[in-house]
Amino acid sequence: MTCEQVEQQLPAYVDGTLTDRRAIAAHLETCEECRASAHAQSVARTVLRARAAELTQMAPPGLRTRVVANLPQGLKTSRPQDLKASRPQDLGWTGQLSAFAAALMFVLVVGAVLLPVATVRSTVVLAAQLALDHLKCFTIEGDADGTPIAKAQAERTLKEEYDFEVTVPAPLPDQHLELMAVRRCLYGDGRAAHLMYRLNGEPVSLFVIPGVTHPAEELSLFGHDQVVWTAGDRTYMLIARGGTRADLNRVASHLRTEAK
Amino acid sequence: MFSGRKPHPARETEGDGFAGATLEFLDSLYGAALRLTRNADRAQDLVQDTYLKAIRARQSFAEGTNLKAWLYTILHNTWRNRQRDGARSRVEFDSDAVERSDESGRLRASRFGEPGWGETPESLLLRKTLNADLQAALDGLAESFREVVWLRDVDDLTYQEIADVLDIPIGTVMSRLSRGRRQLYDALIKRR
Repeated sequence: MTCEQVEQQLPAYVDGTLTDRRAIAAHLETCEECRASAHAQSVARTVLRARAAELTQMAPPGLRTRVVANLPQGLKTSRPQDLKASRPQDLGWTGQLSAFAAALMFVLVVGAVLLPVATVRSTVVLAAQLALDHLKCFTIEGDADGTPIAKAQAERTLKEEYDFEVTVPAPLPDQHLELMAVRRCLYGDGRAAHLMYRLNGEPVSLFVIPGVTHPAEELSLFGHDQVVWTAGDRTYMLIARGGTRADLNRVASHLRTEAK
Repeated sequence: MFSGRKPHPARETEGDGFAGATLEFLDSLYGAALRLTRNADRAQDLVQDTYLKAIRARQSFAEGTNLKAWLYTILHNTWRNRQRDGARSRVEFDSDAVERSDESGRLRASRFGEPGWGETPESLLLRKTLNADLQAALDGLAESFREVVWLRDVDDLTYQEIADVLDIPIGTVMSRLSRGRRQLYDALIKRR
């Protein structure tokens, strides 16, 4: 056997899962290199297995809270540790937030755990949750040097990755509206699509939410501007900060016409 | 339109047991996400997405098989898809190039001291390796090696399960495991 062939089987030999050990054992008797390799692998494995429990990283408590909140109804327990509210720093943000915004986020995260979002009818709470998603998603994904993506690719990603059938409004290059990314919205019950645009370089989010209806209204929350409308059995929420209200309205009518 | 199939009432009860079982692996999944993303925010994001997908796809989980491996597969799949579709242009990590590089020379060159009386090299290393050293040594491995070594020697997945999680042939699992363990050993020896 060549050393290359032996190397392929060494992990199984070292792990004790190799059924016929004779050929490898015979090779190891005469080959110092492979013997050293087998030894090194055995030591590495032993050390790792001995320390496996300590090597496992603890998930941050805020994450556990959010995952539990998104699991099926029957799982929501009333154990105090599961409902412990996440403070803003537990969410692991690096974005800048005003004290007011941070305080509201605290309230919202608690709310998300205690109340399934599907039953929340308040436009204000929903808008605030999405404003947070808008901020957070752009913090972790949408840097200024990101590359725009094509409408077709965005629709394919939403379909294949998240099982959403959404007509993504096309970017408008002459109006400096670029399409940057699409993803699932982290907040709420996780069923909203988050379409991330840039308008004159500033983040703009369009959320597509199934089955929830609200009257069309314009809100201002966390210093963001928002436009809400419904079409068919979906609700759309457009969120932006910076730029003018006029810019946003111009873009809103384009998005409103195209989003399905 | 969103596909939202309402679960049958009887199945909903099973689903709850299933959901509870998946929670047990939250820490491991977060660790895996952190190794892949190298960023706490992205790691949390990836884990949340994994759980949402797992709940949606629970019918495809075969009872009696390794639930942890199944969850890992979803997580790694999601990560690979994101890499492929990334809005940001990323430098492709050429793991093949790392594997082709000549590493056999490193093992020939390393000479470890003889263990003390009554002590094996294993017990010596076990005793002397601090957790921080071990974590640092692992962090220093090439990503493709580290993941295979971790899934085998920390998470105790079978070779086939690892092949499925990482979507690579089982032969590649074995060669990466071989090289990865050796690299880890070298790194630990150097730190002594």
